Amino acid sequence: MARLIRTEKEVEGRYTEQWIVVEEDALERWPEGPLAVVGREAPRTDGLARARGEAVYTADISFPGLLHTAVLRSPHARARVKRLELGAALEAPGVRGAVQPGDVECLTREPGYPGAPVAAIAADSAGLARAALERIEVEWEVLNPLLDPDEAVRRGELTTERRPYARGDLEHGLAEADIVVEAEYRTQTVLHNSMETHQAVCRWQGDTLEVYTSTQFIWGVRNAVAEQLGLPPDRVRVVCEYMGGGFGAKNDPGDYTFLAAELARRTGRPVRCALTRREENLDSGNRNATIQRLRAGARADGTLTALGGEFVASIGASGWLASTAGPMQMLYACENVETLEYGAKLNTAPMAAFRAPGFVEGTFGLECLLDELAAKLDLDPLELRRINYAHADLLDDRAFSSKNLAECYRRAEPHWARREEVRARSAGPWRHGVGLASQIWYGGGGPPSYAWIRVGSDGRATVVTAMQDIGTGSRTAMAQIAAEELGLPLDRVDVVLGDSARGPYASISAGSSTIPSMGPAVRSAAADAGRQILEIAAQRYHLEERVLSLRDGRIVSTDGGSWPLEEVTGLLEEGQILGKGARGPNPAGMRVLTFGVQVAEVAVDVETGEVRVDRIAAIHDVGRVINPLGASSQVEGGIIQGLGHTLSEERLLDPATGGVLTQTLDAYRVPTIADVPEIVTELLDLPDAHLTNLGAKGLGEPPIIPTAAAIANAIRDATGADVRSLPITREEMLRALRQAADRAAARESVGASSA
Amino acid sequence: MSAGRFVELRDVVPRGIAGSATITSIGAGTTLAELEVDPQIPQVLREACAAAASPQLRAMGTIGGNLLQATRCWYWRLGYPCFLHGGDRCHARTGQQREHAIFGNERCASAHPSDPAAALLALGAILRTDRRELPLADLYRLPTEDDRDLTTLSTGELILELEVPAPRASVYLKAMDRRKWAFPLVGVGAARFVDGVRLGLSGVAPIPWALGGPEELDRATPLPGTAYKVEIARALVRRAVDAV
Repeated sequence: MARLIRTEKEVEGRYTEQWIVVEEDALERWPEGPLAVVGREAPRTDGLARARGEAVYTADISFPGLLHTAVLRSPHARARVKRLELGAALEAPGVRGAVQPGDVECLTREPGYPGAPVAAIAADSAGLARAALERIEVEWEVLNPLLDPDEAVRRGELTTERRPYARGDLEHGLAEADIVVEAEYRTQTVLHNSMETHQAVCRWQGDTLEVYTSTQFIWGVRNAVAEQLGLPPDRVRVVCEYMGGGFGAKNDPGDYTFLAAELARRTGRPVRCALTRREENLDSGNRNATIQRLRAGARADGTLTALGGEFVASIGASGWLASTAGPMQMLYACENVETLEYGAKLNTAPMAAFRAPGFVEGTFGLECLLDELAAKLDLDPLELRRINYAHADLLDDRAFSSKNLAECYRRAEPHWARREEVRARSAGPWRHGVGLASQIWYGGGGPPSYAWIRVGSDGRATVVTAMQDIGTGSRTAMAQIAAEELGLPLDRVDVVLGDSARGPYASISAGSSTIPSMGPAVRSAAADAGRQILEIAAQRYHLEERVLSLRDGRIVSTDGGSWPLEEVTGLLEEGQILGKGARGPNPAGMRVLTFGVQVAEVAVDVETGEVRVDRIAAIHDVGRVINPLGASSQVEGGIIQGLGHTLSEERLLDPATGGVLTQTLDAYRVPTIADVPEIVTELLDLPDAHLTNLGAKGLGEPPIIPTAAAIANAIRDATGADVRSLPITREEMLRALRQAADRAAARESVGASSA
Repeated sequence: MSAGRFVELRDVVPRGIAGSATITSIGAGTTLAELEVDPQIPQVLREACAAAASPQLRAMGTIGGNLLQATRCWYWRLGYPCFLHGGDRCHARTGQQREHAIFGNERCASAHPSDPAAALLALGAILRTDRRELPLADLYRLPTEDDRDLTTLSTGELILELEVPAPRASVYLKAMDRRKWAFPLVGVGAARFVDGVRLGLSGVAPIPWALGGPEELDRATPLPGTAYKVEIARALVRRAVDAV
């Protein structure tokens, strides 16, 4: 019977309550550890298709008569369009249509950041569209931009209400402390720079709009486009079969989708709107910069008595305030915590979610502060973290559905114990050191999410669900889950996904939620089909259902009988066995979180400021692991992206005009393979006993969270220098070294004079 | 990339390496990939070529083209009306300048990124064009009020060949923002000859920069955002001189 319940849903730390309908779902829990297919390394089922260029990405979509779009973007951070004439552009060769402010909501006469779209042209080729842009006559009134986040806070220019949080009494906690540390940390604006730029192809088929787009959320795009265009949602079909990266920047439809849809409507032709690499660096979202003014107090024994912070996030022209204070509020058992967060409204491009938004930045500040505290207390940094271990959720005293961070710490010990050996490698200008940082984040997923499955007479199963694989290997993981439940080898399961017209509703691929949201629905659908197969087999072989099970592609009886699956499904000839499944609710009254710790080994050339990361051990607790191979790829990807955040990536602005100076990949530096250290991945693989029929949490985001702090703490261990500002470029490293040398000299002169 | 017209020079410009024990001649059409592995090429130039760009780019890029690559400055490349574009001021001098110059930066603070040029300056290479012979150092000039060009090449003049004397020892050291495929923050080429060590620097001035000696770093004119480059240059120059 369908049951209507009210449940809590979380994406990236933002909770909402909603009604869901769940089926009775009394699936037995799978045992811990590797099973027949789940928990075993599986190469991607679509790996060859991707490598051979057969996979169809949005950029590969083409239709006869397809038009291409070029967008007129504001060259100014803040301006007013005094005059805009499209006439000459419309006369240009190959031009089929144009839109300007008033035609589409995203086009503006008062751009508030460089790159804001003002007008767009559709033409027979991208080159013709770009050439026509030059013929748009536009006159700007350039206004003074606001670029300084502290100034924005002073002026009350905020994107959202300031966000205070308090438990206990901070000042009291600081008074109780034997040691207090205080520091300001800064993190920079970084860009996602997905290999596939943001893009959409829109085509009207009768009164239905087809949207082919690179997206993390097919259903979100469907609903947002339908709402904007005033269409019933089912008149919008969204397709994304393969995707070249999103990292949080492709959660929403984006201006390019609305421009393509409107130009397609006006021209009666299919229209592509694809961002160039330069546009990608101007207007596709970013991880916003932060300023974090932090304080921590502890007793001599290491017990934290106070944590406080003021956080200023440089949101940009619009956006939401990710929780930079989250780690400070949640990671440690501290009674007195006060945080205050501001979202500064600036004339810079709007932020977007970026792989654990807020927590990446906040963990850098908090975990560096903890190490500065450990140094003052003369305590082992790992020990300090154990002393302040949180056994229940600190925001509202909820129990954790599972928390194995203590086990992560235990597994970190051998890596941490390499300290002496690593430091002893120091020679000449190179200083070696080791640092660690903890990770806390969400990743529990939630309902609603659905899957269907069909088993044909050939004994092959096809999972059908309108989810997307954003490049994380979700398609393979879903096949593994269905194969496990149906007792089939992996190569007998196909997965059809990526089309809102061909499958049931599926959740967003954000907030590390695809596995924990979709996986249980797929298992439940497979179990539904499996039950039916056993019911049929029982009747065919005159046995009781309870003695039958599915294993190795066969129906197996406890008395030793065994029949190929296709012997039963084959009875149906063209008939199919159909199963359906839904994601159940999250455990009521519990907090579902992921945890981990990373240990970094670095070498610093103290004369040239070069920082080399030699090794990172990543130990994470994300519940059951479905595909250890895919999971280690996620950990490596997160750490490499974290490495760029830590050492080399930064969007730079001209301080006078707010113009973006790093628009290409030669100026905006993501790491290369030569920068990648040895990465040791250890996942605990302990199923969460309270979470769904899988006990699996998400892993997309956790690995990027502690990387920057672990590296910065290793640098302090190696050199004694406090790096408090990302990225740790040569100049920042040399500055921190100089500061540390000055401090040491001052101490010495005090020592000398007192002696 | 956009341009009105491309001219294929492959059939016009010589390609290949030849020479004696004391002098190597290099066709301007020789690729960086060819130079970085040829045992006749002095170490400093091989290392500079290997440290430049990426393997794909080095397989296509020629030494003649590399010497004439444009200087680096985000303002100039993004089309700001700066001094180099004929304007009246250098935007980097008051703007974002971490990648910019510490020498010769009074009018334009851009930084020339050629690693091979720094190596060839250290080697005292001679350049032959279709019209003349000149020391490599004379190929480059700082921009002036009347002439914003950074080279002395005339319109239509082609670099054909380089003559490179053999040093007793040589080395190239490079500081960059990541370990591969980045322009130099500071590059230092050093070559020892009978009469002493010659130094060539990249990433420190709007043109490849010949450094008379380590003490000349005291006369650097860094901007607030490029002072750290002097520190790096000191360390690399010392290491390079020690190495040869």
